[in-house]
Formats: sequence, structure tokens, C-alpha cells
Amino acid sequence: MQEFDAIFRDLYRPLYLYALKFIDHDEDANNIVQDIFMAVYEKKLYHKKYDHLKSYLFNAVRNSCLNHLKHQKAVNRHASSAAIELKEAELRFFETIEKSLIEKETFAEIHDAITKLPAEQREVILLSRFEGLRNREIAEKLNIPVRTVETRIYRALENLRKKLTSQTFFILLNYFRQEHFQENLPNIP
Amino acid sequence: MEFDNYIENLIARYLNGDCTVQETEELLQWIRKDPVNQKAFSEIKDTWDSIQGKNLSTDEQLLRFYKKQLEKRKVIRLSLWKQAVAVAAVLAIGLFSGIMLMQTSEKQVKTAMEFSVPLGSKSSFVLEDGSTVTLNSGSRLVYSQHPKTNSREAFLEGEGYFSIVPDKKQRFIVNTSDFAVEVTGTEFNVCAYPDNPFSSTTLAEGSVQITFNRSGQIYEINPGERLRYDREANRFSRAAVDIEPEIAWKDGEFIFRNIAFSELVRRLERWYDVQITWSAAELRQFTYTGRFKNQETIWQVLDALKLTTPIDYSRISFREFEIMYKKP
Repeated sequence: MQEFDAIFRDLYRPLYLYALKFIDHDEDANNIVQDIFMAVYEKKLYHKKYDHLKSYLFNAVRNSCLNHLKHQKAVNRHASSAAIELKEAELRFFETIEKSLIEKETFAEIHDAITKLPAEQREVILLSRFEGLRNREIAEKLNIPVRTVETRIYRALENLRKKLTSQTFFILLNYFRQEHFQENLPNIP
Repeated sequence: MEFDNYIENLIARYLNGDCTVQETEELLQWIRKDPVNQKAFSEIKDTWDSIQGKNLSTDEQLLRFYKKQLEKRKVIRLSLWKQAVAVAAVLAIGLFSGIMLMQTSEKQVKTAMEFSVPLGSKSSFVLEDGSTVTLNSGSRLVYSQHPKTNSREAFLEGEGYFSIVPDKKQRFIVNTSDFAVEVTGTEFNVCAYPDNPFSSTTLAEGSVQITFNRSGQIYEINPGERLRYDREANRFSRAAVDIEPEIAWKDGEFIFRNIAFSELVRRLERWYDVQITWSAAELRQFTYTGRFKNQETIWQVLDALKLTTPIDYSRISFREFEIMYKKP
């Protein structure tokens, strides 16, 4: 099953991280992705073209997550419905043409961009994302107000987003040009 | 401006802090107000989500995947079996699942391992002390080591052939519902299916000590001897036997000498994972001697039976057969 194993090793982690966007628990996210790979295995989907399979799988994760959220809403009516609806809204956003950075696999670029952040912003990102500290803990550690931590985190993310999307924007542009060229649409300049 | 900042802080709090229910509600309202807000929020969160220091072992997940697949295949194989009885030979490939159960008892930690083999299959495995066990179709073995009492203990339901590595300090005990077989190092067969009217132990080499659960009586048998316990009569018999037919199953052979029709049927049922019904009293008088490797299908075996015994058979369902007595 080398073909299957290769796909699994390649896509398990991004799919799992993608599921975690919409699902709070590690175990639930793992179960969702495991089940999806079960289908890949049984229906022998690993023979499909890689790009097709990949977008199919990200779609499948989104669908499973949506079902999971629906189920959560039905089972636990007392749980904060705002929290679930927020996740649902986010899910819907990615049902459009918008693609997650996780799907674009820009991990290397992200890490590169982090090193180029202003020191203040880099610090809060490292502490929150890599050391797992909560905002309050970071505030205590750096001896600054929680509000400041929050602002720095937001600015850092904004910065990263700008850097990353400007790169991928050009890639997208090129992609569209090629597409049009291939489809022989002379009307488009 | 102040308002913008407020939302930004709220988002940062949502991502990595303690967002109250009210704040979450507030955020939701803000997002719903304008698709631009939705976009801003989703993109910021996506950036946050894609920065991952989280450790995840893909290999571990792949292993988990295959374990599940194996468990599932067990079920699939059995149901495929139903459809394929006509062409299926006994599954030569052993399949077993080993489940490690960690149990903590007081101060000492003991590890129990459970092995089970589905019907129509057999499997061999090596225990941690180097001893090998072969389990026959539809059997279950739970094994554990007790450092405190200096014993290696197993509980068996079904049939198993044991080849135990000698260790004078650690006895090896196989418990069944009828008796316990205690050895230091030897080769022997234990047959204790719950639905059989008897259970037995056959010794190939070495020595064993058998203690009956009910009476506490202790017996010893010599190599080449079999101790057989009749459950209904609550009687045991000790006899010299030809051990080959007793243990041939472990090598994928099916040998029987002078066994009653009822026992033959029971063995076929277990071996092929089928159900065979019969009621004719005349059939009780027949005894059978035969030998075959497991390439034969259940149909071939029944046809062979038809040649030597005045019977006929019919298939009731996928895995069910009925044998009728036919006057010669």
C-alpha cells in the first residue's frame, strides 16, 4: 500500500490541522480524518490525481466538521451556541473559493515570515503558538497588560497575513493567466 | 478607531484567551453584520491556525489506521465468507488481534495480553518469554505475567497448542473452565471449547500437572497420553493416544481417527465456520478416520462424506447445511 501510505503521510497532518480549525477536541479531529482516510482506502481513491484528491479531502473534512457541529448543537443545547455558530460561519467562509493557508501548505513561508516580524510581535507569537501560553500568562511573563498582548497578537497576525497573501496572490495571478492561455480565450487581455 | 481596536482585542482573546459567552456572542454579531467582517475574522484566524507548534505523529496515526482496518477486516472477512462458502477453502492465513490491556493492580503493574482467533482461521504467536502458542479457530487466550507469584498465566477458551520455554523459576499455567494445566517447560495441546461436551489435554513432550477446578484433584500424564474430561458425566479418562491427529491442526491439517459422527460434525463446523444440523439417530453409529489438508472446501468434504456414509446434504443458507440419513 505504498501509494496509500504516501498520501496518508503527506496529507494527514494538514487535514488534521484543518479539522482543528472548526473542532475543539484533538480526538474528534483525529477521528474525522481517520474516517476520511478509511474511505480513501476502501474506495481506492488514492489512484486519483493528487490535486483532485487533495481538494476532495479538504472538502470532505469540512463536511464532516459541519456534521459534527450540527450534532453538537443538537446534543448539547446548553453549550454556547454562539461558539458553534461562529465556527459554522467560518466553515461557510471556506466553502467559497477562499482557501485556508493550511490547504495551500505555506508552512515554510509562515515560519519564514515569523522570523521577519518585529521583535515585540514575534515574541507573543512564539509564546502563544509554540509554548502554548494563554494571553494572561504572556502578560504576566512579559509584565505588560493583557490588552497589549492582545493587540500585539492581532498586529502580528495581520502582518503575517499580508506577507503571505501578497506572495500567493502573484502565484494565483500566474495560475489564472496559464488557465486562460490554455483555454484559448483571446478576448481576455 | 477605538471601536476597531476593541474588536481586534476581542478576536485575539477569542483565539488565545478566555472569551466569555457574552464576548463570543458579540463577536458573532459583529461578523454577521458585514461580510467584510466575516472575511477579516476568518483570515486572521486562519493565519493563527496555520502557525502550528503542535506535535502530531503521522506514523502513529497511520498505525492506528491500520489497526482499525485490521479489526474491520475481521468482520468483513467473515461476511465475505458467507458469500464465498462454495469456493472457499479454510483460511490458511492466520488472523489474530492482540490487544494490550494495561492493568494497574495496587503497587505492581501487570500486563495482560489478549489474543483471539475468529472462526475458520488459526494463528500462531510468540509470547514475551519466547514460548509459542498456536490458537485454533474460534479461540481466545488471555496471557499475563505475575512477577509476584513467579508465574506465567494464561486463560484459554478454545483450543491451543503450547510450546513453552523451560523456566524452573516461573511456572506456566493454562487455565480453562474445567482444569488448570501447570508446566515448567513442555509441549502440549489443550482443547477446551465451551460448547464441546468434553475438554482435553494431550502431552507431546515433558510433563504437566493437571488440577481440576471442581474437585481439586491433581493428575499427571506422560508424553503421548491424553487426559479427557467428560463434562456431562463429570468423569475423566486417561489414555495413550496417537498424538498426531490431536495436534495436526496446528500445521493446517485435519486428521481424525475413529471419531464419532457428532464430533466430526462439530470439528467441521469449527474448521469451516459453518453450521451443520443433523438429527438421524442412525448416524450415531458411524465413526470416521480421515486426513486432509485445508485446501478442500466444505462441499468437497461433504461430498467425500457422502461416498462413505449413506447421507445426503443440502444447503439451508449461506453457511448452514443439513445432513440427512439416506437408507442404503
